[in-house]
Amino acid sequence: MSVVGIDLGTTNSAVATVRNGQVVVVPAAHGGYLHPSVVAFSSDGLKYFSREGVARRISDPKNTVYSAKRLIGLPFRSKEVQKAITRLPYELREGNNEQAVFVGPDRTYTIPEVSGLLLGYLRQCAELFLGDTVSSAVITVPANFSDAQRRATIAAGRIAGLDVLRVLNEPTAAALAYGLGQNMSQRIAVYDFGGGTFDITILQVEGDIFEVLATGGDSFLGGDDMDTTLLNMLAELFHARHGLDPRDDHAAQARLLIAAEQVKCHLSSFSEARGELKNIAVGSQGEELALRFQVSRDVFESAIRPLVGRTIETTQAVLASVGLAASQIDEVIMVGGTTRVPMVRTEVERYFGRPPRLDLNPDEVVAWGAAIQAENLAHAGENLDSHAVLLDVTPRALGIAVTGGFAERILDRNVPVPVEQTRIFTTSADNQTTVRIQVCQGESRRFDENVPLGELELGGIPPARRGEASIEVTFRVDTNGILRVRARDAATGAAREAAVNVRGGMSEGEVAQAAERNQPEERLEDTPLLSELEK
Amino acid sequence: MQLPDRIARFVAETYGRLDELSYYDLLGIPPSAAEPQIRSAFYRVSGDLHPDRYHTLADRELKERLETIYARICEGYRVLTVPEKRAAYRQALAVGKKRLTSTEREANAPPSPVDTLKHEEAKKFFRLGMMSLASQDYKGAVMNFNFARTFEPDAAIIKQKLGEAQAALGKPGGQGTK
Repeated sequence: MSVVGIDLGTTNSAVATVRNGQVVVVPAAHGGYLHPSVVAFSSDGLKYFSREGVARRISDPKNTVYSAKRLIGLPFRSKEVQKAITRLPYELREGNNEQAVFVGPDRTYTIPEVSGLLLGYLRQCAELFLGDTVSSAVITVPANFSDAQRRATIAAGRIAGLDVLRVLNEPTAAALAYGLGQNMSQRIAVYDFGGGTFDITILQVEGDIFEVLATGGDSFLGGDDMDTTLLNMLAELFHARHGLDPRDDHAAQARLLIAAEQVKCHLSSFSEARGELKNIAVGSQGEELALRFQVSRDVFESAIRPLVGRTIETTQAVLASVGLAASQIDEVIMVGGTTRVPMVRTEVERYFGRPPRLDLNPDEVVAWGAAIQAENLAHAGENLDSHAVLLDVTPRALGIAVTGGFAERILDRNVPVPVEQTRIFTTSADNQTTVRIQVCQGESRRFDENVPLGELELGGIPPARRGEASIEVTFRVDTNGILRVRARDAATGAAREAAVNVRGGMSEGEVAQAAERNQPEERLEDTPLLSELEK
Repeated sequence: MQLPDRIARFVAETYGRLDELSYYDLLGIPPSAAEPQIRSAFYRVSGDLHPDRYHTLADRELKERLETIYARICEGYRVLTVPEKRAAYRQALAVGKKRLTSTEREANAPPSPVDTLKHEEAKKFFRLGMMSLASQDYKGAVMNFNFARTFEPDAAIIKQKLGEAQAALGKPGGQGTK
């Protein structure tokens, strides 16, 4: 049985494993090592992945889900999901427990189910390549993923039939891949600019110890935004030429978006991209409308400058939070496909005053680190002398609601995990037998300005006068960055029930059901493209 | 896997008296230690005790104890490396407190809606309804809230929750799961 590391990306994913002490990356079905993070659905229940999935973004945009990572673990009514809906051609709707669900051709799917299907496909690619079953995995997430997003990612793994050994922060994984076995003593910055998210993380590496000093990011800033910028440029060009906005038509928009991504990649190597896009839309006379275009790197760069500027501002803020200057960083590691954009590299170099490391493959380095950590965890105890230790931190502050609409801070952000804090709660009315505690994540003093995480109900309190009961509640953030709550009666020491009902999440029962449903018949034994995978 | 003897002994000796040990004791450093010394002590202890190293440990209780001890060490590292927190800890130690933590009572913890009900049976079914709601069993929730209502027909909170459960049941995919 093998264990793998999976970099589950917004746009692309990568899978790696450790074999005979070496990291091996699982090749993708159509060459290369990146698997597009796309799942296409059809009314007969079949699912399509890889290049077939990407092709269906054009031929069947309503039934083809991409960028699921932008939705995972977020309630339907969150502003992030509402914003995403305006740009996504597939339909989302509100399901159980405020979840966003995808309306597929055959039934609705929760977002962890969609990601679970993708993970199941990746698992199968790995199994075919390795000639071995894959039972467990480390899955990476952006460092600033919230508790709910982490839980949803674990649910996705379980739906794919995987034992999720850990959800690991992407930059920490990259640092591990970079520094393991180098016996170094360095302070490094991991600049991670992916398809949908940006993260910056500062680490101290001392031999086998990787300590995260600070991390921060923007979960809604990525290469996709550059594609959208280019899409808008092309759409306006098209509009000027034909008097028709291709963004009003999903298929036309999908074609332009894919072209935009190609133009972006082309401009990473060349100073100009020109070409003709045929058959984008159909005109009023039924004629096919094409677009001849020409985009220079200069024009592209001035359009994306604000996006890159935001990453530098975030970087500055994170460094400042630990009292460091850019010049005190020994090495800058670039992660994520968006770091291939030349302007990103020059701006990073300018800010840090040193060229970033380009020798690690920015698309694979996270999967590498995840594979190493998967091996570490699965074989813990066998090799106690040489073992990397990742000292990670809490992604966000954790607070509880108190009177007056305020949030009282329980745990700070950027503190080493595991970490715990104990609070004593009492009743505010006579004969009160339960206490309700609302938990949020975020730094704001006002409760509503934070992300509500969920509610905690403590039951079974013996009836007494107000203020007499005293319940000790321990909040712990574990090494997955996930909150766990324990409660006990301070007087008797007896454990009390305490369950956090996470908003927008799947219930245990739903996850188990989805995993069951995803079992043999929906696993893709006979997908033709898998036969093309070379061992 | 099994814990190495040295670690097992440390856990056995430390867990029961965690609250009697100062952060300095746990990190094995003198109270005068400067930051680099604190940091290297934390790295050394992490190399020994980080929960990742014992991921495959089958004994859940032992694992939980180890993680509790390690969480306390992380807390100590954090407190001792932030100057304001370290100053506050010095004062706490002076009055015999080994841990820098706020343990004031939250006198204002809001009651659960169940406490607004008067009838015992209504409370019982309301609570069952809330549990069904939490596990997304909307059919069960509707049933229990209806039972609760027979005992206290005028309680607004029951009507409200019944309405929520009915709405969830009516939603696509909102069928009872159990």
